[in-house]
Amino acid sequence: MDHKDRDVVVPGDHLSDDPKKAGEGTYVKDGRVRSLLYGMASSYKDKVRVIPLAGKYVPSPGDTVIGTVQDIVFSNWIININSPYEGLLHISELPRKIEMNEMSKFLRIGSSVMARVKDVDSTMKVELTMNDRRLGILTRGRVAEISPTRVPRLIGKGGSMINMLKKELNCNLFVGQNGRIWVDGNDDDMDLALKTILIIEKEAHTTGLTDRITEFLRAEKEARS
Amino acid sequence: MSDVVMAEIRKDYLYHLVLKGERADGRAFDEYRDINLETGPIRKADGSALVRLGKTQVMVGVKIQPGEPFSDTPNKGVIITNAELVPLASPNFEPGPPNEVGIELARVVDRGVRESGAIDLEALCIAPGEKVWIVFIDVHILDDCGNLMDASSLGAIAALMTAKVPAAQYNLGEDYPLPVKDIPVATTAVEFGDATIFDPDTDEESVADTKLTVITTADGSVCGMQKSGPGFLSQDHIYRIVDIACERAREIREKFLEV
Amino acid sequence: MGMEEKVSFFKDGLRLDGRRADELRPIKMEVGVLARADGSCYMEMGDNKVIAAVYGPREVHPRHLQEATRAIVRYRYNMASFSVEERKRPGPDRRSYEVSKVSREALEPVILTSYFPKSVVDIFVEVLQADAGTRTAGINAASVALADAGIPMKSLISSCAAGKVDGEIVLDPMKIEDNLGEADVPIAMTPGGDITLLQMDGRLAPEEFRRALELAKTGCQQIYEIQRKVLVDRYSSISGSGSCDQAPALAEDEIHE
Repeated sequence: MDHKDRDVVVPGDHLSDDPKKAGEGTYVKDGRVRSLLYGMASSYKDKVRVIPLAGKYVPSPGDTVIGTVQDIVFSNWIININSPYEGLLHISELPRKIEMNEMSKFLRIGSSVMARVKDVDSTMKVELTMNDRRLGILTRGRVAEISPTRVPRLIGKGGSMINMLKKELNCNLFVGQNGRIWVDGNDDDMDLALKTILIIEKEAHTTGLTDRITEFLRAEKEARS
Repeated sequence: MSDVVMAEIRKDYLYHLVLKGERADGRAFDEYRDINLETGPIRKADGSALVRLGKTQVMVGVKIQPGEPFSDTPNKGVIITNAELVPLASPNFEPGPPNEVGIELARVVDRGVRESGAIDLEALCIAPGEKVWIVFIDVHILDDCGNLMDASSLGAIAALMTAKVPAAQYNLGEDYPLPVKDIPVATTAVEFGDATIFDPDTDEESVADTKLTVITTADGSVCGMQKSGPGFLSQDHIYRIVDIACERAREIREKFLEV
Repeated sequence: MGMEEKVSFFKDGLRLDGRRADELRPIKMEVGVLARADGSCYMEMGDNKVIAAVYGPREVHPRHLQEATRAIVRYRYNMASFSVEERKRPGPDRRSYEVSKVSREALEPVILTSYFPKSVVDIFVEVLQADAGTRTAGINAASVALADAGIPMKSLISSCAAGKVDGEIVLDPMKIEDNLGEADVPIAMTPGGDITLLQMDGRLAPEEFRRALELAKTGCQQIYEIQRKVLVDRYSSISGSGSCDQAPALAEDEIHE
């Protein structure tokens, strides 16, 4: 049975009889394209793909992530990035030079950071870097966690959703590809920001979401004033 | 399968809230999450209860079987309480026999049932010195979202109150309801930032270093207590916890257990 | 088998619980029932009540178990003490080790372990109430829990048993039929018909075995439809429909192509 665009599909569902159309989240067997994932079928350009509705974050070079320091081992901070794979932040990947005996003083266990994935090698060793002005240690604000599969929706087409949120929410916002989002502002604004993010996570697969969220925020702000 | 170090930024937030008199989910310090209690979900058991306390889920099963009494109490039935913290319930639970946390949980649940006299052990005697009823209380944790103690205790007493002694299948007469003479209810609070927080969720349990469980009976007596965790407890806090515990337990008893 | 008193399993062509020979017991399935687990499913198959949870992919502990090029799969089947007639001592016994092994091997063929090297997919099944067929119920629930956790798979796996009572081949034996019947054949398969679990005990002529296998397959097919429906329905109740005319809302992730 062929599935229409935006149908919810399960692993094994038949998507197409044309192997050339096989995109992400699919596999080909006996000339037929099938879903690998529990997700939404999507026809995009001339490929059929499945966008996952669930799943863990697997780091990819270039991703920005938010992580928490779990341990310090020799010249690396071991960082939990909400993934089956931990991130390694090497002492040389900081914006300034730190000696090995200063590591804990600079960044201690339990601290949270905004970092970027520099490299992932074939043994799944994940190297992080903080060597960029837009990255750094989080000292204020709150971090929310959503399913990493919903991050694209939170960002939106060309950034449409996230830019709208940054404008309307009166908070600093930083979205990690690993499903963690940092918000910073006053208490009430952060509460609203987090509440909004959770709604987006829950309804990510629906249509007309950006409009609904814009309307929701307008109503909330009116109620407050 | 090991505990992840909690982000300081999260700890700071919880402390910040507590200083304002607030909690992350908007509850008051002495407020419980929503409780949902279903009795008898396991028909094959002699008694059973499924407790939902917020997102925490615990299943308790009671099996009653004839067996030998202990030699030093030949006329008394036997209560055996066990808790299984199965790996399905939390990323921090490992397969294997109960560790100290699981054993402590079972023993405190047992204390509530035993010390309150909820079960009249002498009424469980079939043939003195030879045969008595053995009451197995098996706590099976399904989802650990904080405060397993109160959820397990509630499940245990609810399962006992709706249990029947399966006398017929052992040719010992007709089945009859297990006689339950009291209704112990456990109330647990944690301390952090000089605040006392009742019915802690997972994060609140992680941040706190001290926990106190108080078990009270239907007439408001205290029949069991357990301080756990490596921190300090001030006397003032203890007395306050006991007072609130009696109040909360009474509400839970009235709402869920007295029919 | 070989009891002194002869129990009759059929009355007016119906089994002791009113079913026809080729009928499954009533089934209930719910997905996403646990908060801590990455994926979960609660299932009732007749009087069987099982709950399956999936954690993973996640880091392997102890480290030495990890494999360089793929995820390992672990399956732990466990029965609660109160799940059976006579209270069971907690902990695994030889039977649960065997059930765990064959259940894992029923699901492993469809899991794309190469996507997550050096990690583990942990599957836990707890039997809360048992009435013959707990291993098949466990596999059915585990399959849905794996999908719920977002584990990439070639397909779901469906599982069901056939038996023989009073000389008749029956689908989905219940406890009394299993205990006193003449054979039990649990299977698991992909929707395409590839068998991933096959066990048999009892005594069957080769022709009877063929019929039992065919009957079990029809059971698996019916169960597959239920598994699929519970996964799909979960999202259509929120969105209201499965189709739209706008660009796919989740799709803006070209950076990862």
